[in-house]
Amino acid sequence: MRVSPWWIPAVVLLLALLGIGSASLVAVPSYTRDFRPAAAAGAVGQRTAVLLIEGLRCVDTAERAAVQLEGAPGIIRFEAFASRNRAEVTYDPSRTGPAAIIRAIESPVYNEATGEVAFGVYRVVDVDGISRDQIPATGK
Amino acid sequence: MVGFRFISPVLGSRPSEPNMLKLTRRIFQIAIVAAAAVTGWRFAMGWSLTSVEKFCPFGGLETLYAFVTSQRFSCAAGELNLTLFLALLGLTALARKSFCAWVCPFGTVSEGLAALGRRMFRRNRRSPGGGYRQCLEPPRAADRWLRLLRVPVLLVILYFTYRTGELIFRGYDPYYILFSFHGHDVMPWSYAVLAGLLAAAVLVPMAWCRYLCPLGAALWPLAAVGRMRLARSEAACTRCGACDRACPHALDVSGVDQVRSGECTLCLECVHACPAAGALELRLEGVRR
Repeated sequence: MRVSPWWIPAVVLLLALLGIGSASLVAVPSYTRDFRPAAAAGAVGQRTAVLLIEGLRCVDTAERAAVQLEGAPGIIRFEAFASRNRAEVTYDPSRTGPAAIIRAIESPVYNEATGEVAFGVYRVVDVDGISRDQIPATGK
Repeated sequence: MVGFRFISPVLGSRPSEPNMLKLTRRIFQIAIVAAAAVTGWRFAMGWSLTSVEKFCPFGGLETLYAFVTSQRFSCAAGELNLTLFLALLGLTALARKSFCAWVCPFGTVSEGLAALGRRMFRRNRRSPGGGYRQCLEPPRAADRWLRLLRVPVLLVILYFTYRTGELIFRGYDPYYILFSFHGHDVMPWSYAVLAGLLAAAVLVPMAWCRYLCPLGAALWPLAAVGRMRLARSEAACTRCGACDRACPHALDVSGVDQVRSGECTLCLECVHACPAAGALELRLEGVRR
């Protein structure tokens, strides 16, 4: 069947939009870590904070960000979506909160292999859509 | 001047349908190159967290194995890479390698450099039209073998990406090197690779696309059975060869009834160059009317 050449740009545009629009359908985390399942069982309520983190760009940096949370109390689960620089941190609100999570993630990163400490590796841009500047630096 | 020639297909001529199509393709190409450059620059300056690699469909192929086997993404690849790759498969099944001619930013850069090469290496300066075949063109047999280079390039990239979970191609990817503005994994030798590829694109039209592009190799089998094809009317064709000279991928258009090659990007340069009305038309195969 003879078709108009205008079909080409139309099909290109349509499939580009389809590709972009359907991305959320296959969203799976690049990295997941369960910290304390026991704490989850004992927690009265759980909350999940969605963090936009500068420096979270691949599986390796996501893994390192999870290490930053190792010592923090009340962290239950860490899920990173590296391509979107996004992390979802599930926590026990009676023991911790967004301010403490930000402090843990932004703390200096210790490299076990080299013994070096790096500063400013991660910077939290916002939490649950609220700018980092509006979250108190102290407390939970 | 070369840039002007590249973006001025309709200036100075009446706005016929072929010219409008050519202008539309240029608008697509320039808009995408501009979007890639702005995205890369904003990321490099720290004004945005969105990197250019997020929009690369080849990243979808690189992460496909990890996604299918463990529901994870490789390194920095994500869902957008994957869905853009799947959409690209759909596009290729229908409109062959139109992605290369209408979307790919490095394809656009290659076309611009081919226009430069055409001016620099024109064998016969009095020849009208100034088709691509006036540039340095490898002999047909060598060209056929060189095109196969893309297959080992693709296999090596996929093997090491699947094995290491890292996007090992990043430092060699001309799209990433050019539009990431010294992004992650771009090393000094990456610029040497880019310079070599840009120089090659001036000397041999679309050198990267024809001989090295791994995405082109991956799409090749599907493009060969793509439903949209250019058909040549034997009755209307004057066999002037203008279509052959205009093809950036050096395909033999005048010698076939239908362009079935998996290399055809549906750029429509042959249609624009054809002086005989109705000699070349676009057909959708498998649909009868």
